[in-house]
Amino acid sequence: MSAGTALVDIRGLTVDFGSLRAVDGVDLRLEAGERLGIVGESGSGKSVTMLALMQLVGAPGVVRADKLEFLGRDLLELSARERRAVIGRDMAMVFQDALSALNPSYTVGAQIAEVLREHLGLRGAAARARVLELLELVEIPDAKRRADAYPHQLSGGMNQRVMIAMAIACSPRLLIADEPTTALDVTIQAQIMALLLRLSTEQGMGLVMITHDLAVVAELTQRVAVMYAGQLVEEGAVPALFDAPRHPYTEALLAAIPEHNRGAARLQALPGIVPGAHDRPAGCLLAPRCAYAVERCRAERPPLAAGVRCFLPRGEPKP
Amino acid sequence: MSAAPQPAPLLEARELARHYAVSQGLFGPKAQVKALDGVSFTLAAGRTLAVVGESGCGKSTLARQLTLVEAPTRGALSIRGQATAGADKARVAALRRDVQMVFQNPFASLNPRWTIARTLEEPLAINRPQLARAERRERVAALLDRVGLRREHLARYPHMFSGGQRQRIAIARAMILEPGIVVADEPTSALDVSVQAQILNLFMDLQQAFGTGYVFISHNLGVVEHVADELMVMYLGRAVEVGAKTRIFAQPLHPYTQALMSATPALRAADRRARIRIEGELPSPLNPPSGCAFHKRCPRATAHCAAELPELRELDGRRIACHNV
Repeated sequence: MSAGTALVDIRGLTVDFGSLRAVDGVDLRLEAGERLGIVGESGSGKSVTMLALMQLVGAPGVVRADKLEFLGRDLLELSARERRAVIGRDMAMVFQDALSALNPSYTVGAQIAEVLREHLGLRGAAARARVLELLELVEIPDAKRRADAYPHQLSGGMNQRVMIAMAIACSPRLLIADEPTTALDVTIQAQIMALLLRLSTEQGMGLVMITHDLAVVAELTQRVAVMYAGQLVEEGAVPALFDAPRHPYTEALLAAIPEHNRGAARLQALPGIVPGAHDRPAGCLLAPRCAYAVERCRAERPPLAAGVRCFLPRGEPKP
Repeated sequence: MSAAPQPAPLLEARELARHYAVSQGLFGPKAQVKALDGVSFTLAAGRTLAVVGESGCGKSTLARQLTLVEAPTRGALSIRGQATAGADKARVAALRRDVQMVFQNPFASLNPRWTIARTLEEPLAINRPQLARAERRERVAALLDRVGLRREHLARYPHMFSGGQRQRIAIARAMILEPGIVVADEPTSALDVSVQAQILNLFMDLQQAFGTGYVFISHNLGVVEHVADELMVMYLGRAVEVGAKTRIFAQPLHPYTQALMSATPALRAADRRARIRIEGELPSPLNPPSGCAFHKRCPRATAHCAAELPELRELDGRRIACHNV
């Protein structure tokens, strides 16, 4: 692969659901083996952006992009058959609620074996051996017995490990994890985070971590993209971006976290909520909630410039 | 003469336990789950007790005992000095008015067919029948102001509100009878972080205005550190460390408390505690380990821990249940 080829190269990605623009002109680039966090509140478009990359946005959603490339191949140009060969093999996804993502009627071993059969043509004893190997890789003790268990017989943390085993079955170049630890207890969350970090570094696997938990991103990723109402509002390296946020939204998100307000009687809360389909402001989408908004912010939409989408960025530009 | 009698605490639990019989299939014998197994604490007016722990630690079972939804299997609970055990129906009803609850999921805890006005007026209609309709309306409207909603919201239905607004409505419903105690079970874990901050501020404002005592159940240590005065860390139905928040956060002593704190991701590298790797899953309450329930995952466990259950004892200004500290 040439040095110029990115793992993922997205330009001008837009996803519409009827009159709702869920993703609004997102540019995102990910190098091989890089770990990126995408953060934002509910409805910010962070999951839909990645579902669009996975080609998992179904009707009535409409995906448009100037460029939607994975390993130099334009995903929008692929036939359905070619796409199915890529999705799940070179690029895989782990979802928040493992129990509802797994099929309740099949053993977890059978579900992992299905991936191996579809993409690698492995069958019988070879598939079984690889299933056990994968279960051990994701640190499931007693893999032989667990492979024959149904999802309801396993705990939430175990099911999440099974999902990860399935996703990494074909050694993907990119793993997208959508809130993979949100439903888990903190000691289990720590185990899953350590596992994802290990897999990413050992196998040179790119990782996109979608989460609302900034602390998870701070510990796990190298770069972070902050989304608001379908737009990318700030992007930068970790931890620089957290130490000196430039967009007022990033600043507000950080300020709302209790651990940032130690000793304060009140938390600094961003008023209001993310605008819906019908109440998008004409100017900057954050303007109605932003403490620094001026007349221009209410009239005009700011472009993304030097990693921040704001007319009045905070602090000094990052080097 | 002896000294003046001490005023009874707002809420006092002594060795509170709740066991459930669980069916193990059609022919198997019933198994017993000790969901809550001997928990003691007191709560004063205007204070917040935070209960922390992971799945199956008994925090929601505790909430059900405190709100008098269930009777404890063992132990005693008293509210403003009045024992709940053996109280007649009328007394229990009166006590229940004094303990209200806010639930985790505001999408499930409000009746979708009721307007906000009806949801908020019903407690008054039942418990304050002497109030005239106009007076009731007035109280509801005044409280709505306090929780940051507007009067025109009264005629709307829950689906017309965002999660944060719904949680405000749920909080208003809990506060409308001016209870002494509010039990909040993960009240912000379904909310976005900026909305969570709004709701936590609201809890603090209301506590300051009404002097309500809170039992605040959460798994989020950041939230707990912000709201709590007292902290109770639970593991598999028992308290393992109880004491002042500042003391425990400054120096957690129980290995489980330490593990919880070290497992919580932190934004700033300076706040990260050396990670104590805890192996394995939470044990099943159906088949708890012998001795200390944490010993199979504990980095400091000895043979003693597997054999004998450690009792809570005083140590360094807190109570802690561990043989090896």
